[in-house]
Amino acid sequence: MSIEVRGISKSFGPTRVLKEIDLRIETGELVALLGPSGSGKTTLLRIIAGMEHADPGGGSVLFDGQDITAQGIGDRRIGFVFQHYALFKNMSVFENIAFGLRSKPWRSRPDAAQIKSKVDALLDLIQLGSLAQRYPSQLSGGQRQRVALARALAVEPRVLLLDEPFGALDATVRRELRRWLRRLHETIHVTTIFVTHDQEEALEVSDRVAVMRAGQIEQFGSPQEVYENPASPFVFQFLGHYNVFSARGQVADAPLSAGGGEGALTLVRPHDVVVSRNGNDRDAIPARVLHVGLVGPLVRVELERLDRKESIDAELTSEASKELALKPGDSVFVTSRHEHSFEDYSI
Amino acid sequence: MAGAPLLVSASASAPPVTRGHPVWRRLLIAGTVVFLTIFIVLPVVNVFTQALSKGVAAYTEVFTGPAADQPPRNLAEKRKLSTRRAQSEKTASAIAMSVGVAAVVVPLNILFGLMAAWAVTKFRFRGRLLLIALIDLPFSVSPVVAGLIFVLLLGRTGLFGAWATNFVWPDPTSIAWRGFGGGWPIGFDRFNSGIIFTPLAIVLASVFVTFPFVARSVIPLMQAQGTDEEVAALSLGASGWRTFRFVTLPNIRWALLYGTILCTARAFGEFGAVSVVSGNTDANDTMPLRIEKLWNEYDNQAAFTVASLLALLAMVTLVLKTLIDWRAARSARRDTGATLQAGPPS
Repeated sequence: MSIEVRGISKSFGPTRVLKEIDLRIETGELVALLGPSGSGKTTLLRIIAGMEHADPGGGSVLFDGQDITAQGIGDRRIGFVFQHYALFKNMSVFENIAFGLRSKPWRSRPDAAQIKSKVDALLDLIQLGSLAQRYPSQLSGGQRQRVALARALAVEPRVLLLDEPFGALDATVRRELRRWLRRLHETIHVTTIFVTHDQEEALEVSDRVAVMRAGQIEQFGSPQEVYENPASPFVFQFLGHYNVFSARGQVADAPLSAGGGEGALTLVRPHDVVVSRNGNDRDAIPARVLHVGLVGPLVRVELERLDRKESIDAELTSEASKELALKPGDSVFVTSRHEHSFEDYSI
Repeated sequence: MAGAPLLVSASASAPPVTRGHPVWRRLLIAGTVVFLTIFIVLPVVNVFTQALSKGVAAYTEVFTGPAADQPPRNLAEKRKLSTRRAQSEKTASAIAMSVGVAAVVVPLNILFGLMAAWAVTKFRFRGRLLLIALIDLPFSVSPVVAGLIFVLLLGRTGLFGAWATNFVWPDPTSIAWRGFGGGWPIGFDRFNSGIIFTPLAIVLASVFVTFPFVARSVIPLMQAQGTDEEVAALSLGASGWRTFRFVTLPNIRWALLYGTILCTARAFGEFGAVSVVSGNTDANDTMPLRIEKLWNEYDNQAAFTVASLLALLAMVTLVLKTLIDWRAARSARRDTGATLQAGPPS
């Protein structure tokens, strides 16, 4: 089932939340809508689900080329998973998953035995077969979210939509559950869109990422594409930590400006920062070490440029840092291994 | 006794504050006990002692009529007996009227209350806050004024007076089976006309006065629960009715029952509004109106007997309310997952 969004706008009162969104998602893809809060990603998802209606005038949503803009949520055959699960509190896990099957019109409603076998199969899929008779309140957050997913899958939706599915879980469960989602998607291959504000999650799980900002899609591409060739400084900045090596207005006293010319913005990831004891490179920036911290296999070094008193974060491998033997107060020189320059920007 | 939000009562199990001087604590407790004794326990006890002051037989006679175990010996006794019989018939009819009115008013207000609560909590629209304020209006208007509003609207010279005086409605007690000879198989034998000073006006006034109870007890809960569960049910293809029946209703059932009980209690107890619209005729008396009449006729024992029935109803209400609070608190704890460690439910 491919999903296409054409020229969708949405306003809440005077604020425009979505501005003429166009998006095309291919059959079987797993797509992340990534953006900061207020970027309109959840609204877009809810419009695709049919929970919100786009502003009248032009915009449409198509499933497999068929216009479903006028259809209600019940007719779109979507599976929706909420951030806070929205499980039916008064029903057991089994009944929660069976709800959609029991809600079918009686002609297409499976009989009790079929429902049981279907629910049991889904319980196996989410590895919660032993907890079928529990109530949602007796489950952990991760278990609840898996039940919510099974409940959505029970009606064999054409599209699976997940709204910040792991947002309410702690870090370990999150990581575990998103791997599980990835594997699940590989087995059932239903077109899936999930909303997240966690760039790591989006890059790790999805086939393609749509980075959103202020009601518009800034870039839509594979995780590698958006990470390596960000279309705008915003995308670059949203996808990870960064250092500003030169910026408009400060070009005059910026000794390092590779690629970009006048008025350019040059951004460098911390792991692309190279620290050396001697300034052989003429572009090297003199800096002072402020702090050296160990984070797992990486050493995070906080530096201060001597010329502009701005801080630079660097991530060094433990070998490199051993070789340099940095201490706070040391004078060093900074260059970059790889940098991104943007001509036209607005932050 | 406005419908307190159930969510508040759910936290009633929080540990009490035990700081402060023990003397103060004892004084406060003693003061409360003395107050409750003087203002609640003593009057209720008085109601029952007065009602039973002439024995159990006299108590039941008030609404079942005098027992005809021995025939009257003279004309004076015969006359006395027939007055007593007439009085007890009026009292019995007042009880029937109260039960009948409540039987119509309570279901109506469950329906209206749910509709209002649903509209106000599950949708966002212009004027929503105004609507919430309007739901509370009957609490802030004096019941007598409420009754008067209906008289001024529907009375002979009222705004809709011409229409209301000619309005014809079937007497629900005259329902009869007609058979399939043609037309409706079920029909009514008697019809009433007019609204004001008829039982219909009593129903209208009671609906107005008791409207907020259900809505008020359900709204806070529905507000707290949001719409996610309903939307989830709809996305799974459930119909609106199925969503309401299996998702919304189970979530609000204790609050709804609570509101219903308060609404019932008030429907039986309402005096002011009903007094204005009933027209002071014996046939339109409800229990509170009947109590007033008996009292004015210096029949204290009978007045207290009817009052004791209302007091009994109040006590049943109180027990049910406590029971519901307890169950609601328990299910709230279950829903928020406080029993996470508990094993599977038996």
